[in-house]
Amino acid sequence: MGSYRQQPGASPSEVRKDGKRVAGKQVFPPPGSGGSEPKMRPRDLDYIPETVGGREPKPAGDHIHDRDRTGTIVGKAIPLVDSNAKVTGQAWYGDDVRLPGELIGKILRSPHHYARIKSIDTSRVEALPGVVAVSTGQDAPNRFGVLPVTKDEHAMAVDKVRHVGDLVACVAAVDESTAIEALSLFDIEWEELEPVFDPKKGLEDHDEPIHWRGKYHLARTNVQKRVFQEFGDRSLVKTPHAASHGSWTMLGVHHGFTEPHAVVAHWDPNGRLQLYTPQQVPHYTHRALSTVLDVPMHQINVVRTFVGGGFGGKSDPFPHEMCAAILARKSGAPVRITFDREEVYWINRGRHPSHIDVKMTADTEGRISGFDIDALIDGGGFASFGHVTSYYNGVLATAPYELGSFHYTGARVWTNKPASGAMRGHGAVNTRCAVEVGLDEMAEQMNVDPIDLRLANLLPPHSRTISGFRITSNGMREALERVREGSSWDSKFRQLPLGKGIGIGCGFFISGSGLPIHWDPKNFPHATVHIQVDMDGGVTVHTGAADIGQGSTTAVAQVVAEVLALPIEMIHVRSHESDTSPVDLGSYSSRVTFMNANAAIRAAIGIRDQLLKAAWEMLGYHPNVLVLNDRRIYYKHDPAVGVSYLQALHKAQADTGALIARGAYRSPPMGGVHKGAAAGLAPAYSFSAYVAEVDVDIETGLISCTNVWAAHDCGKALNPLAVKGQIIGSCHMGLGQVLTEKMVYGRTGHLQNANLLDYKIPSVHEMPHVEAIIVESSDPEGPFGAKEAGEGPLLPILPAVVNAVYDAIGVRLRDLPLTPDVVYSGIQKHLKKNGLEEPEDIESPRLSHGPLQEILVARGDEHRERDRLRQRSEDTSAYVNGVLFGFDPDRPLSEQVEGWREADEPLPEQLAELGFAGRAWLKKEQRHMEDDA
Amino acid sequence: MIPAPAGKRWAATVNGRPFEVLAPSNAVLLDVLRDKVGTLGVKRGCDLGTCGCCTVMIDGVPKLSCLTLAGQVQGADIITVEGLSDGAHLAPIQTCFATHGGSQCGFCTPGFLVASQALLNENENPTRQEIACAIEGNLCRCTGYQQIIDSIEAAAAIHRGESETLAPASEPHPDPHPSGPGEPTMPPGHAK
Repeated sequence: MGSYRQQPGASPSEVRKDGKRVAGKQVFPPPGSGGSEPKMRPRDLDYIPETVGGREPKPAGDHIHDRDRTGTIVGKAIPLVDSNAKVTGQAWYGDDVRLPGELIGKILRSPHHYARIKSIDTSRVEALPGVVAVSTGQDAPNRFGVLPVTKDEHAMAVDKVRHVGDLVACVAAVDESTAIEALSLFDIEWEELEPVFDPKKGLEDHDEPIHWRGKYHLARTNVQKRVFQEFGDRSLVKTPHAASHGSWTMLGVHHGFTEPHAVVAHWDPNGRLQLYTPQQVPHYTHRALSTVLDVPMHQINVVRTFVGGGFGGKSDPFPHEMCAAILARKSGAPVRITFDREEVYWINRGRHPSHIDVKMTADTEGRISGFDIDALIDGGGFASFGHVTSYYNGVLATAPYELGSFHYTGARVWTNKPASGAMRGHGAVNTRCAVEVGLDEMAEQMNVDPIDLRLANLLPPHSRTISGFRITSNGMREALERVREGSSWDSKFRQLPLGKGIGIGCGFFISGSGLPIHWDPKNFPHATVHIQVDMDGGVTVHTGAADIGQGSTTAVAQVVAEVLALPIEMIHVRSHESDTSPVDLGSYSSRVTFMNANAAIRAAIGIRDQLLKAAWEMLGYHPNVLVLNDRRIYYKHDPAVGVSYLQALHKAQADTGALIARGAYRSPPMGGVHKGAAAGLAPAYSFSAYVAEVDVDIETGLISCTNVWAAHDCGKALNPLAVKGQIIGSCHMGLGQVLTEKMVYGRTGHLQNANLLDYKIPSVHEMPHVEAIIVESSDPEGPFGAKEAGEGPLLPILPAVVNAVYDAIGVRLRDLPLTPDVVYSGIQKHLKKNGLEEPEDIESPRLSHGPLQEILVARGDEHRERDRLRQRSEDTSAYVNGVLFGFDPDRPLSEQVEGWREADEPLPEQLAELGFAGRAWLKKEQRHMEDDA
Repeated sequence: MIPAPAGKRWAATVNGRPFEVLAPSNAVLLDVLRDKVGTLGVKRGCDLGTCGCCTVMIDGVPKLSCLTLAGQVQGADIITVEGLSDGAHLAPIQTCFATHGGSQCGFCTPGFLVASQALLNENENPTRQEIACAIEGNLCRCTGYQQIIDSIEAAAAIHRGESETLAPASEPHPDPHPSGPGEPTMPPGHAK
């Protein structure tokens, strides 16, 4: 059992044969000192890039961080550094924080969908023995929200409740049963208002809009945000060779993290607030607490506990966090509030229920001449991240394909339901599904293979999308080719028997939002990391990166260990407290690995330089010829000449004490200047391609996904084990959305399945085998080439499954999730339409290649070489979306094409033909209505 | 949390240690374990018996502590996640969950560990299908289960004494501290 050692030192298994107990061996061997007993392992050349003399292949060429590699740990599959805490039950999540003398807080929630609070009488509550503090919305009138532009939430309802489950009041009592009893003693006078549930109705004027934005309010509608974007040459879409038009209904889904929200608040004896919360984005909670409580930020310490799953659902500042702080302030005691599972659904922030309409066209050469997307999304009662979601639903469809034109109308409306927000694959998932299925349909019309259609229309590395996003590394082509090969696509597609199908889907996602939400990116960095090394040689890393299980702490520890050539056990990451962590934006938009690891590398280089300088003084060799390896620094050409890490460290510490260094990351200036140009901007983008195989029971409509080949371009897998975990986990979550998961609102608008029994998360039996394939395109700006792997891998699974279902039964289904009833009625409609009797009579779709197939294959082959040269920076010419259509990338496209559009508002003549969401543009803002009046 | 403090004596062996606490007759085992015994590794995910986070072993059988009244298991032998390791050594199942990616956010991990340890106690050579059946009552939102099954397979191999390596077969996890006598310890060109 010795190899499972949890703690070094004496242990029962260390009893010798003669019965004598001996101390257990220490984990650490002596460092390579170069002395009488030098013990240093050789550099692991397999993990040192070939570009700097190692053996790690670098097909994409040089990387700026190659010289910082020491072969220590980057690229190796290692356990998460906090995994021992998790497997022993010692990881402390929100509800595990137990402070002495704690009170239990409970929240009174609205029983009404939409109502005005006329009065609240708390006298009976206060009279209940055991109740220590009571609070209502009047105690905290300041508004907050995750985005500075849409602060529309209160700790508790101040005037109106906006959905069933909205917060009305809260109590703190000596135990939970007293607190629950207290909730029944509030006397509240309500005035019920007419609720809105259907997002289409949200576009209409209402007597009492759910929120009121003053002169910026759109007429009297419930539209929170409308977006219009148009780029390119719209004349191309007028005479299509192939076209697809699909109207989708996608129900809302929830993150389904296993840990319910919980918070503990405590005002310490100095009057500072200590708030313990499982937050993905502790900094925004920090800001919101300051606003709501009227306390400066430096008097608040936000402690991020372990987070039992986030997926976007723990990234808003939450009203219950404010409630706990208010109750703790009133009572003078720590207050703990833990949600039950139903409350988790009331706070929601899941994926928006969406109506998405996608039209697309292709020309005679198989080029995609236009995407035309209309997305009406149901925001629920509050704005949350919705402002951004409204853009993402369109703009994240502008790659990975080269487009002739792009047209997007989006609208997010308030309804009287729990608020939608950010969820893994924020805003991109639903549209991506619609777009990829549309491409499948067009490929069928053109009698070409859908993979070849995609391969012939990809944007190359180092290019610009039609909306102006800067693409750097791009592994899309390799991902497609590898899933095609892995799945034996060419011998299966359109050749499987009825009921069995195979489908393809691609994805494209941001790797870190280019603009921070709360401050000016020109002045402040996105991420900062501090490193401190004291006499013992241990390295303490301070970062605000919020580990939510994705392994950000491990990633930061890995890159520091790599640069300093130290065992990862010597790196201690401190990321829980805002008191000690530099400000960090948090875990959203898949930014943590990219931004924090970049900052950590810079900080580690700062430490390394101090060590090398000391070694220079000791050895007389310039740092350029010194090598760091396993706790030893030596002369490149004679490794016997060297000093140990500790010797160099102590030399460097002479007179100054502990070494400290900081590193920061800021994304470069990029993007266009049109309204909304910043939405979707990122320093890098991830790409993915999946092939899914399904079995469809044609009698009952039950779909089971059997196999998935999932290729994801993460730039460079810092930890392949964690990357594969993210890919497989993303498949699981995406499969849930496409097959079983839905938030069901009944006819009365009530959420009917606010529990994990009726909200169907796939169990182990529903999971297919996932072959996770890592594609490494080595991003020039990523840490050691890495990009995100947490959200992007979710996108392709939905369309891959939907396309596979078509391949299996020849029926296009556009209502997600594809539960058996949806599939069954789709099959029945198909039978009726084609005059068939039995489901067995359905003919599986078949493909015989048309004349365009050869053209596409030839173009794809040509582009493969183009992409290779651009990826390796052998071809550095400019490339913008439009070159495929014959335009010169060095001249503005507007000069080259008559009628080139780059617009953020519709032309008057367009108004008549806009889709559902586009109709929001028929309304005027209050300020313009006043002008008219 | 436990309703109403008026309590009855409740006694059981938890992780090998006898515990005697006061708990009301309607107390749920999960609450007693978390609030009275202090085994906070037992997690509350759904209160409905659907997520499996609160799984504990009761007399060797994995059960949902949120659906078990404390009174039903008076005097029972209860093992929680805290009882899987002996304090100095992690159990193979724990180590394998770490090395094979079976744990991401870690919240469901205690339930999975207890359920899979119960399987391994009964069956040291489970098939992937048998493993799936053993953990079908546990929900994991992070991993997609595949690496959890890998972890349990690896732990089973160690239980059978077949494998001492803790690393995934496909991607060897290099030992960060090779220090045995046979290691190449000297850089080339070193003159002693």
